[in-house]
Parts: sequence; structure tokens; C-alpha cells
Amino acid sequence: MYGVAEGEKVLSLGPIGLDGKEVFTIPGEGLCAIVHGCPATPYQSTDENTVIQWVRTHQSVLDEAQKKFGTVIPMSFDTILQSKNEAVSPDQAVRDWLKEEAGRLLSLMERIRGRDEYGVQIFYTPRVIASRIAETNPEIRQTREEMTMRSPGVAYLLRQKVEKAVRAEMERRANDWFKDYYARIKRHCADIVVEKTGRTEGSKIMLLNLSCLVTRDMVKDLGAELEDISNTEGLTVHFSGPWPPYSFVARPAIPVGEVVR
Amino acid sequence: MNPTRGTHATLVDLLDRVLDRGLILDADLVILVAGVPLLGVKLKAALAGMETMLRYGIWQDWDAAQRATASEEARCKKPVTASCSVTPVCRRP
Repeated sequence: MYGVAEGEKVLSLGPIGLDGKEVFTIPGEGLCAIVHGCPATPYQSTDENTVIQWVRTHQSVLDEAQKKFGTVIPMSFDTILQSKNEAVSPDQAVRDWLKEEAGRLLSLMERIRGRDEYGVQIFYTPRVIASRIAETNPEIRQTREEMTMRSPGVAYLLRQKVEKAVRAEMERRANDWFKDYYARIKRHCADIVVEKTGRTEGSKIMLLNLSCLVTRDMVKDLGAELEDISNTEGLTVHFSGPWPPYSFVARPAIPVGEVVR
Repeated sequence: MNPTRGTHATLVDLLDRVLDRGLILDADLVILVAGVPLLGVKLKAALAGMETMLRYGIWQDWDAAQRATASEEARCKKPVTASCSVTPVCRRP
């Protein structure tokens, strides 16, 4: 199953599924599941390119579905429904599932309608920030000047002192940046999730990693805000999307019904 | 600034989302929820350059600290109800 869309439509989307499978819809409860027929065994591969190809295909099926149906709840890759009972056809198993989950699915639809997900990551280059700190912080500057007048042994110790001070200052600034940028970005989002920052890019370190659920007419504002942030020396901003709202359908970050400020 | 898709950098974003997120089925239904091949995880680690990250020892605590800030903020705003006293901001622990 690729996802669930609004409307009880019976439609074929053509052979656009994983491994060229025919993708079609199974309707029920004002919704339709976007599926292809497969055995009840997970898709697995040890080949990276195969996995990447599958993931891209999963995404392109959802893109196609969104064009045709509007709002689509994306399923996680490799989500397979199997009927427990052999007397129940696979199609019926999907209908049963739609019936059981209709309430939850419809309320999810309400949350994501007219909105897309965007990825926002801010990276910074420690080298650039460190040299700026070393130049502007009076205490550190003074220690560095002192270094040049001392014996190699003392200079070595002073250098270590400088490095430690620069690092502490960098951490303090990163913390301030995170709070500042998080607040500024959040203003333009209907919902937001703080993701792990475990990624670097060359000599850049990730400062912040967010998934943002953004109402379509707010995307420009978010883009402008990010443009502004990216003009800061030593910072790089990544802005990806629009994605189906993968990060907002499993469990809402902000409970349904709460007003997003 | 305009959002992009389809570059190498956004491939990681796509993998993260398609493999780890999206709606999943409840295990007690009629279902086989297939976990993604382990490869998915390894592949992402490779693409993300985790090793480089760990060289900067100071950043090891950063992630946790940052997420704590965000969830603290969310907690402060949220009315506590009997059925659900805490809702995590981060989907994955």
C-alpha cells in the first residue's frame, strides 16, 4: 500500500508501481487505498541502487496520486496488508482496514489538507565561526596576542586555552541560534517536528533539522525567512520539498485540535 | 529561497521519510508490517556521513539538548490531560 486518498474512486494509475506493477485504488468509507497486488513478503534487497529505486518509485506513485486525488496520506515503504483468513480476499482485507481506520484517517486528512511537508536543515561551518569568534572576542584576542610573545611551551598552553574558549563560545552561540531559528521557522508552519541532527556535509555541521508542515500559501514566507537566515556568514540552509506529509501522519507532533500559534 | 527535490542532498531527506516515516499499520490488525531491510539504515548512515559527525566530539550531546529544548517548550504549552500527560514532540525516541 502506497497511501490513502480522499474520495471513493475506482481507478487504475497504470504500471507505475514497484517493479512496474499496476497501481490501482480500493475504495471504501469515502476514501481509497492506493495499492498494487503482491505476495505477503516484504520487499528486501542488499543492493543500494535497488532500494533507492524502490523509494523513488514509492514517492512517484504518491506524486501521481496527489495529482489525481488531492490529499494523500503517505504510507511507510513496504507496508503490506495480508488477510488473516483465506476466505477473505486481499481487496476485502483492505476494505475492512479502511472501515476500521476511517475515523483516524479522515481526521488525518483534515490536518494535512492543503499542506505539504518540507525539510529544513541549517548547517554551519565551524572554521568560519571559530575564526570570527577568535577575531571578535576581546579576551580571546588578547590571549592570542600574548601567545606571540611567549616561549613555545607557554604558547602551546595558551593555544589550548584559546581553543577551549572558542569551543565554549561556539556552543553557546549554536544554542542561541537553534532557539532563534526554530522560533522563526515555526511561525510559518502548521506543525513542526525536530528531527535528529546526525548529518554533516563536508566541513559543515548540522545545527538544526526540522520537518515542517506548511500550508501552501505560507511556503513563500518560509522561503523568505530561510533566505534571510542563509545570509548569515558561515551558515548554509537546505530547503527540500514539497513532500507528502510523511512526518505528520504517524503520530501528530501537536495533538489534533490544539491551536498552532 | 525555493525548496528543491531530486538532488543528492534531498535523496537523504527522501530516504528518511519513505523508509522511517509515513503511516504504519497497527500490528494487531490483519497485517504484516514489513520492517525495512537493514540495508536502508546502513545506506542512510553512509549517505549522511555519520563518521565525520562523530569527529566533532562536542556535538554528540547537541542533538539531545536541542530536542529537549523543543519538547520542553511543547510541554509548557500543553494542557495536561488524564489520558495523555505527555506527548512527545519527536516521533522517534
